[in-house]
Amino acid sequence: MVQTAGGFEVRAKEELFINLEPLQRGGVMPAEARKAALSYIDGYSTCDYCEGTLHLIKKPPIADFLGEVAEFLGMDFAILTNGCREAKFAVMHAITKPGDAIVVDANRHYTSYVAAERAGLTVYEVENTGHPYFQIKPGGYADAIEKVKAETGKLPSLVLLTHVDWIYGNLVGAEKVGKICEDYGVPFLLNTAYSSGRMLINGRDLRADFITCSGHKSWAAGAGTVGILAIRKEWTEKVIKPSEGYKIKPIEILGCSARGSSTIALMASFPFVKERVKHWDDEVKKARWFSSQMEALGDIKQLGDKPHNHDLIRFETPAFDKIAQKHKRKGYFLYDELLKRKIAGIKAGKTKAFDLSTYGLTKEQLKYVVDSFKDIINKLS
Amino acid sequence: MREKVVEKTFEALFALEDLRELLRKTAPFDLTKEQVKEAKKILAKVRKTLDEIDGELK
Repeated sequence: MVQTAGGFEVRAKEELFINLEPLQRGGVMPAEARKAALSYIDGYSTCDYCEGTLHLIKKPPIADFLGEVAEFLGMDFAILTNGCREAKFAVMHAITKPGDAIVVDANRHYTSYVAAERAGLTVYEVENTGHPYFQIKPGGYADAIEKVKAETGKLPSLVLLTHVDWIYGNLVGAEKVGKICEDYGVPFLLNTAYSSGRMLINGRDLRADFITCSGHKSWAAGAGTVGILAIRKEWTEKVIKPSEGYKIKPIEILGCSARGSSTIALMASFPFVKERVKHWDDEVKKARWFSSQMEALGDIKQLGDKPHNHDLIRFETPAFDKIAQKHKRKGYFLYDELLKRKIAGIKAGKTKAFDLSTYGLTKEQLKYVVDSFKDIINKLS
Repeated sequence: MREKVVEKTFEALFALEDLRELLRKTAPFDLTKEQVKEAKKILAKVRKTLDEIDGELK
């Protein structure tokens, strides 16, 4: 592959391979967004007509875009962040005090924990159901809230739910958790890093006070990292509090966040995202078909929700681990064999279990992936 | 002159992004006859745009 002037190898993973990496599938950008990002690639490119802060800029129409995003998510206000993790931290820092307790699910992303740690919070977890489904039951949130109350004498300052988790791709009934939070009067943050941008989310229906989104994970926006924090109006004053010294700069996002091509990528991908969420049911059907085909190969078991409700799928794969025990490349054989067949995205060395995503791939591509796994088993078992 | 050259440079780059999109959507398979036809159409657009840039530079 050709080298760029800086000596880096050109990355052509999407052009040469079927990429199954679950982190990357929802962030694959459409051509129109790549074109827009390309012309905004320089630093601070969004700030030619600065209005004092990023979210108020009219040219390019960032302010209008954020209004549309808030509506799209069924929320009242939206602001850009550098990523989903920064959005979660902004909320935690704004509405809690160090030493407060919060409740999160055990399937949470590590950044939910790290954000809480940085804000000086004590984390209470809602356990999952364990092997093989690893589900988070909404009722567990009521138990966890009661536990916080019993141990601290106070309600938690925040409840966080990972709508779809990054390991099993389990989809949790957020509206039930939202109802529990409403009944207790505890603010509810819904982390939609793997849901909004793929499927339609309505924060009002889900009773969410805050929705955090990942542009690069699920809104087809690369060119850097970018996130969205969407808020119900009763919280805007507290969370979008301006600096005392710089009245136009919101403290919690340090004034301005993604000041360049990633914001443009997010904006340019938005029409594409609004359209693709309408086809979420087709993505789920494809994921279920793929899962059933993989299990039919034998000695492979899909973990998590069954039937599955998301494109992120984790498999336990003794079929490949048995080969690894005897192969000279040990667990790396699978990565090598897949690469030979132009399939990427399964982590090198993983044969006991691995996760992948079917998002945005065609049935023809997925059939090719299944046939390739079958071929590897037949060749090496 | 400069404005035209800049405009056409982006036009050529954007057309190549369309070609890249075709490659992305079809990986890792060989292009079908229809897809080859589509690729050739894009290439013709790129060539025309490059000729226009060349013309401006004379």
